[in-house]
Amino acid sequence: MTINAAMHSDIFLWYLVIIGGLLALAGIAIAILHVLGKDVAGIMRTYRGWLIMVPIVVGVIFLGRTATIVGVTAIAIFGFKEFARATGLYADWWMTGIVYLAIAAIGVVSFVADPRLGGPGWYGLFMALPVFVIAAILLTPILRNRAKGQLQQVALAIVGFVYFGWMFSHLGFLANTSNAYGYLLFLIFAVEINDIAAFTFGRLFGGRKLRENISPNKTLAGSLGAIGVSLTVPWLLWFSFEHFEPLHLVLTGLVVGIGGQLGDLVISYIKRDIGIKDMGAVIGGHGGILDRIDSMIFVAPIFFHIVRWFHGLA
Amino acid sequence: MNEWEYHPPPDIDETMVEHLRDFPREPYMLIYAIRSLVALLLRGWLRVYHRLRIEGRENLPERGSFILVCNHTSHLDTLCMLSAVPLRKIHRAFPAAATDYFFSSLPRTAVSAVLINALPFDRTAKGAQSLTLCAELLKNEGNILIIFPEGTRTTSGELGRFRSGIGRLVVGRDLAVVPCNLQGGLKAWPKGKLLPRPRRLRLYIGEPQTYTHLEKNAAAVKAICHDLQERVAELGSLDA
Repeated sequence: MTINAAMHSDIFLWYLVIIGGLLALAGIAIAILHVLGKDVAGIMRTYRGWLIMVPIVVGVIFLGRTATIVGVTAIAIFGFKEFARATGLYADWWMTGIVYLAIAAIGVVSFVADPRLGGPGWYGLFMALPVFVIAAILLTPILRNRAKGQLQQVALAIVGFVYFGWMFSHLGFLANTSNAYGYLLFLIFAVEINDIAAFTFGRLFGGRKLRENISPNKTLAGSLGAIGVSLTVPWLLWFSFEHFEPLHLVLTGLVVGIGGQLGDLVISYIKRDIGIKDMGAVIGGHGGILDRIDSMIFVAPIFFHIVRWFHGLA
Repeated sequence: MNEWEYHPPPDIDETMVEHLRDFPREPYMLIYAIRSLVALLLRGWLRVYHRLRIEGRENLPERGSFILVCNHTSHLDTLCMLSAVPLRKIHRAFPAAATDYFFSSLPRTAVSAVLINALPFDRTAKGAQSLTLCAELLKNEGNILIIFPEGTRTTSGELGRFRSGIGRLVVGRDLAVVPCNLQGGLKAWPKGKLLPRPRRLRLYIGEPQTYTHLEKNAAAVKAICHDLQERVAELGSLDA
């Protein structure tokens, strides 16, 4: 992944066309609704958020492997920060600091080569790092000679690191593969399409609730509709991974469709338990970072292992 | 099984810009790190470029909240006062800064809030409200408020009349006020110039004063202002 490679990558250029086209279409659609006299203020805020986020994400991937890994690590760190602030873990600067360092270490390990096996990315340590980090988190109360409230702090720090740091960072590790543009751009695109589909179908079809105690707006019909869309998308974007067989396309569709919605539900019950509406307010019209990347957290590691199992990471 | 208690911060639904305008501020690790680093660099720079010397540092109270008052000739005043505060207390030191100047635009707000840790002081309409904010701040143990009672930078070098705010803040309260005087600021960074010049700076810190015994009335407020103004002026005459 380099700037030069991006400019000569058909996959990258195709995604530029597709994403640019969809954004333009959405803009036109909103303009038409506006002319028809519909209230578009809410949609417009969300749309403006997309107009800021999309160029940043595409730009970072365009800049290459280093920028992608740094970018994913930064999002993981700020995502964890939102979690830490929402749960109150942030008041403990020791725990928060250790998790920050650990997520930064995940970034470093994604970037450097395995000293014995070579190759971009240190896969072995990437997979083993949670052992050491969890050990460090568990040892912190001993070092500080504290007991009161420590189980909660330790548990929150471990969830924060493993879920928001490590699982999400699998996305950055995909930058090490030879088909990085295809995997990364497809994954980000498909997950967002799945989000939008789940939202739209949920609005269109009422009926049975999916999980009424967690997210009262989601319906079973909406969820199935989104899975249907996500099962179709890999076939339409087959050019992203021409070496995939039909079975892999079906698996990918299922992972995006089901995993995406599960990630959403996880953040939903976390928020509901804490008693807040959004994890933050960084992105206008989209809530916090975690409200935007929640669907990716389950999808990234499972897709990563599908790729690795069937095709290898090289 | 007992339920866990979560403590989400009150500012969770605010954007980054709103965080910057908030006061009192929620503590942020990144902002503390940046502020500490900048404070360290600032101390080095003041010492080398301006040959800053601080006399009477031992007069700063070890514990409790207190107020630092100083003459106001340039922006260097604030920076020198911040440099007199021990580095570990830097996040508890709040220079009162005019809202209409230091919080007027986003870049200025960012610098004031992140680097200087300024308390937004409305010197026009809501003077009383800003004073209440200062009083609330000082109720918490270990906070340091930095105030320039003249209200604005002098262009002549003469010590201006002290406004009544400082008197109203401390009259009848158990609060130490430390008079200070910075010499050389006027030559080092005159009002209106873009960058400071490499002139010598001296900061004199006087003995802490308290006005607990005074009754709350206009005469006492006036007397306090007068007393502090004289003490600040006196410190300035040390510089020969």
